[in-house]
Amino acid sequence: MASDTETLEADQQFERLKALVNKEYKYIDRKWDAVFWISAAFIVGAACNITMLLFAGDWDFWTDWKDRVWWPILTPFSLVIIGSALQYIQWLAWRFPTGMTYTAICMWFLSTLGRWLQWGNFVWYPLNFVWGTTMVPAGIFADWVLMKSKSFVITSLLGSAVFSFTWWVSNYVMIAPYLQPAEWMDRILTLSDIQGIAYIRSQTPEYLRIIEHGTLRSFLGETQYVSIVFGMTVTVAGYWIGQFIGRMLAIWPIGRFMKKW
Amino acid sequence: MTQVATAAPTEEAQAKPGRGPIDWWGGHRLTFVGPLAFIAIAAALRIWMQGNAWTIGIDASSAGFNETYRALFYGEVIAATVATLWWWTYLVRKGKQIVDVPVSHEVEVRRIAKFWGLISTTSVELTIMASFWPNMDGAWHQTAVRDTALTPAHIPMFFLFFPIGITLTVGTYLYGRYWLPKVYGAENGFPWSFFFLISASVTEMMQVAMNEWGHSLWITEEIFAVPFHWPFVLYGWLAAGIFALWAETIIRLLGIEAEIEAAGAGGQEAVAS
Repeated sequence: MASDTETLEADQQFERLKALVNKEYKYIDRKWDAVFWISAAFIVGAACNITMLLFAGDWDFWTDWKDRVWWPILTPFSLVIIGSALQYIQWLAWRFPTGMTYTAICMWFLSTLGRWLQWGNFVWYPLNFVWGTTMVPAGIFADWVLMKSKSFVITSLLGSAVFSFTWWVSNYVMIAPYLQPAEWMDRILTLSDIQGIAYIRSQTPEYLRIIEHGTLRSFLGETQYVSIVFGMTVTVAGYWIGQFIGRMLAIWPIGRFMKKW
Repeated sequence: MTQVATAAPTEEAQAKPGRGPIDWWGGHRLTFVGPLAFIAIAAALRIWMQGNAWTIGIDASSAGFNETYRALFYGEVIAATVATLWWWTYLVRKGKQIVDVPVSHEVEVRRIAKFWGLISTTSVELTIMASFWPNMDGAWHQTAVRDTALTPAHIPMFFLFFPIGITLTVGTYLYGRYWLPKVYGAENGFPWSFFFLISASVTEMMQVAMNEWGHSLWITEEIFAVPFHWPFVLYGWLAAGIFALWAETIIRLLGIEAEIEAAGAGGQEAVAS
């Protein structure tokens, strides 16, 4: 009976793993876990933060730059990279489908600290003008796809799309109030446009321009859906850049040495 | 190389209560002390900036700027250079003395815990240089006129925390090479994990030159997503090599446990050399 044999092997494997978990060591205890998870949180958050800042920072810094054509493309693309790397590392090492969420929380903490300490309390921009995006809901959904599919290929195709779409929905809740129309010197602008005019960024080129223009505000706003779908496809590429980082720069070097250098 | 303890001089541990190799205030102490030291330096500089950046930091041609920010720049460069040379020299000279001295498992575990403390310190330091200061950099340079490469936002970031990143990554390697020879000994070759991590801090420093050149050639204003900023991102990616350091040393810890188990099953406890 093949099924009985498989069940027996599965039971034996379960017992072996259970014994391994409960094994008493002289020097290995939970302190090593704590040191690892807390120390890694810093470098993971920083790597995600710097990647986002330098690929999509301008669109993320200000409410008026959070437009409907570039913001939904560049931001999820840049955020998914380090999240994907951590998904690979945590899934490989512990079968934890938590890498994207872990990255999201680390990133949120550092990003919020930066906005509050530097943008808010150093240059005195109001935080409702310079708030950062969140990738926590998007990360949870992307991890859920990995947990259910157990496949990085499926997660790259489906999870990246889910990540990108969830990122837009969760952040739209925050940007929506700033997209309300208001009259400014006989013209109809959004509240975020008025913020951009009121708080001068004298070293940002063309600082008085309206960021959204042309067809973005026509066609009944359909352009944003085109951007979201294109962002979902670009995020797939970002996911595989992250996989390269996780596989080749974090895991591959383990125990490998250059004999001649 | 593992050998059975004989008459060879062996470094043994003499731990006080609560200061054992895996106690929080024993082997793991550097995990707190190292990161907190760098957080304290960053906090002190940030607090000082609060009262000075928008007054004396705004005009690089003023006497006040010369006496404060430019003096801070020179002070940082000299301090970072002296501290680096002193620490690296100590690690190499002391390391050459102790690398061949056999040690007990307890001593080796304590060294691994200290090594993890150095990794934690590196992680926090790289975070300060790649997230804390870049946020100030963005806020300052999108607002204030850039009249020098040595701006208030650049001075702590580019000329203190960036070079110290190299100090820590190379210093951590030297510690591993001499204090953990079973993992990173010279006969093994140069570890790819450290190659990526050290490359991260070195490319970050080199990119500073390209950044200033780019700003002087194209735009003095700030757009964060311009292509000549992108090489800064390489740092964040290459720093992934840090995960391999944790893995390589936990593998050695498991090896130590296996050696202890084998010794308990009828042999003598092995001593690492």
